[in-house]
Amino acid sequence: MTSHGWITGTGAVCPLGRTASEFARRLFAGESAIRPMTSEERDGLQATHVARCDGFSPQPEIPAMKARRLDRGSQYAIIACAQAIAEAGYDVSNGPEQVGIALGTGSAGAGPLTEFLRVLLTESPEAASPFHFPNTVANAPASQVSIELKLFGPNVTITQKDPSALNALLYSCLALASGRARAMLAGGVDEWNPVYAMGFDRVGALKGEKRTSGIVQGEGGFAVLLESEESARRRGARPLARVSGVSMAGVPSEPYRFTPDCGAIERAVRGALDDARVSPGQIQLVLPSRNGVAPMDSAEEEVLRTVFGKPPMAVFVKDAIGEMAASGGGQIVAACRAVAGEGSPLPPEARPRRVLIDSFGAGGNFLAAVIESADVQA
Amino acid sequence: MIKERRVVVTGIGAVTSVGTNVPDFWAGLLAGRCGIGPVTLFDASSYRTQTAAEVTDIPDGFLTAAEKRRMSRADRMGLAAATEAVAQSGLDFSREDPTRIGVVLGGGTSGLLDSEDFFWRHLNGKPARPSRVLNHMPDAITDRVAQRFGLSGIKSTITTACSSSANALGYAHDAIVAGWADVILTGGSDALARLTYGGFNALRSVDPGPCRPFDRERKGLSIGEAAGILVFEEAGRARARGAPILAEFLGYGVTSDAFHMTAPDPSGAAGSRTIRAALACAGVDAEQVDYVNAHGTATPQNDSAETAAIKAALGERARQIPVSSIKSMIGHCLCASGAIEAVATVLTLRDQLVPPTIHYVNADPACDLDYVPNASREADVEVAISNSFAFGGNSSVVVFARRS
Repeated sequence: MTSHGWITGTGAVCPLGRTASEFARRLFAGESAIRPMTSEERDGLQATHVARCDGFSPQPEIPAMKARRLDRGSQYAIIACAQAIAEAGYDVSNGPEQVGIALGTGSAGAGPLTEFLRVLLTESPEAASPFHFPNTVANAPASQVSIELKLFGPNVTITQKDPSALNALLYSCLALASGRARAMLAGGVDEWNPVYAMGFDRVGALKGEKRTSGIVQGEGGFAVLLESEESARRRGARPLARVSGVSMAGVPSEPYRFTPDCGAIERAVRGALDDARVSPGQIQLVLPSRNGVAPMDSAEEEVLRTVFGKPPMAVFVKDAIGEMAASGGGQIVAACRAVAGEGSPLPPEARPRRVLIDSFGAGGNFLAAVIESADVQA
Repeated sequence: MIKERRVVVTGIGAVTSVGTNVPDFWAGLLAGRCGIGPVTLFDASSYRTQTAAEVTDIPDGFLTAAEKRRMSRADRMGLAAATEAVAQSGLDFSREDPTRIGVVLGGGTSGLLDSEDFFWRHLNGKPARPSRVLNHMPDAITDRVAQRFGLSGIKSTITTACSSSANALGYAHDAIVAGWADVILTGGSDALARLTYGGFNALRSVDPGPCRPFDRERKGLSIGEAAGILVFEEAGRARARGAPILAEFLGYGVTSDAFHMTAPDPSGAAGSRTIRAALACAGVDAEQVDYVNAHGTATPQNDSAETAAIKAALGERARQIPVSSIKSMIGHCLCASGAIEAVATVLTLRDQLVPPTIHYVNADPACDLDYVPNASREADVEVAISNSFAFGGNSSVVVFARRS
């Protein structure tokens, strides 16, 4: 095995729960938060279903006065990251320049952006509010987290299609390997936005009444604290899991076309296994990329059969929380909770030692990772 | 940081308001030419200001008419810069393993201008081309560059506002050092949009005339658009194939200010942390820095905070070396600014010439360094840094060296 770092804390604010443990418990119990859209959400779309953080309130973590100044994505991110830091028992003030953040997102800033533009385009540029503009940037959630938690370390936001959150995990591995940080909050954040939903619906990306192939959109924030083994050992932290393999493969593609390239998918999957120095037989659980895009889903199934022969048990995270650039963050959190000792929602005999995560997107972007139990000996 | 694999620059490409290829861009900067003029891409009459640094005549003749229709301005600018950079590098991708060659760019509003047209039509109940929605997605250009050159390696788009493309260079460096790729096309492309133009105007951060970095009377930034692409290559491999080595990318620093969404830390403490982190990564001392390619936006807050940061990080050295802002000529190219300023920094190292800060008239006691006012000059530059600061306190500093 190899180690890119230990995961010592997890956090989640998503349609299936407001904490990582609630999310994992309901996920592994087979629940799904996907529901029919309300007539207001639907508003002429082909899409019929969505998964949202219904009834979400930023309290008690974020006081109402402060919450009003934050877009929803920033609220999700702050709460998920604070949970991960709390679970890890990590004291940021001991060395704030050693703690960073990397989040993946496809929609952060969408709310402020569409509102600012709506006023600019329909009223006048002078009527558009200066309060909205700074939060139109995709890095607003990660930056609000750094301000809130007083992190001085690396701060990066990544947007590279559906696997953006996994990409952020890969960047975090590099940040630890290069010595740029001792600990990185890694994950993803997305907010559901009616204008973006309309756009994705118009280009045919969403599953709908007459459209059997397509995604159901989700939203939420996910974070893990990825810590160097040395740092975690020094402070006597108990790890939940270890990131032992990561991999990214591309293929030339039109940006928003799905390219179900089995060769590239296999390169990503085998790349993660090779990086972790494990054989397919050592994986007990797969969290596939499957998100409802039929040709991509069948290509993944075919590759998993090729690699594994008889694939291990699979849990389909996106069937439970929908698809978004941040959903890989949900897969990472789910994998950590599954392999964790006491924190696992699974009975001891059903707990996997190693989990493979697949996360693929349009435009020829294929990422994979192996998360393993911290009990697996080096 | 001790590295077994080092990263050199073997090609550069530039599309800017003062020149749409590297020779013209560089000649424009050295001549102190101002690329800031009236906004023509949309009707700006109802905005507080009406000037920006627009790119005219994108050199995209290699695209078919259908491709041009499908692509945003940002896509076309980025592909033009990538084409120039790849040509200079001498790489023949048909003879390379495509899985070892990646694309890591910085992005932001990208082709939002087209999506704004779509949104306006939608709000007014008019028919609109749905594909226009996607032009706004910042990762499209990354996929397009990989598609154009048939690349199958890693792909990533950093979206940290005005430090996006500087951070992209950093990600590309780390990925090559880690062995995830041997060659990465890196940089960024960002085009003018109503959102950013209206947004900075709403914040009262835009100078009605061309911006005046570090000048006492500076009133804000000028928004620009640009594409800058650099070919990053593992050094041993670049030498083995006899590639032109323009500079070495020594390292970078990336930090959070954790201070405020829009305001820089006026004490310069936050910015100096980023510079120090960059020098530590690059393995160079403050005394070795010969030139600072400044962020220099010309907002009252940035330029004094940045000056304080440079002084705090470099100490006495800050007063001995030139510091200039090419934003005075090409405007603030937002998510592409880190990339295009990196291209300029590489050219400074190659030619031992420092571009000026133009429109500089009045000395400001809070900005008391040598800003290379109004005329370029010769200088001995072995190591240079380029600063990028962004909304959210996302700061990034990159370090280049003349010799590898």
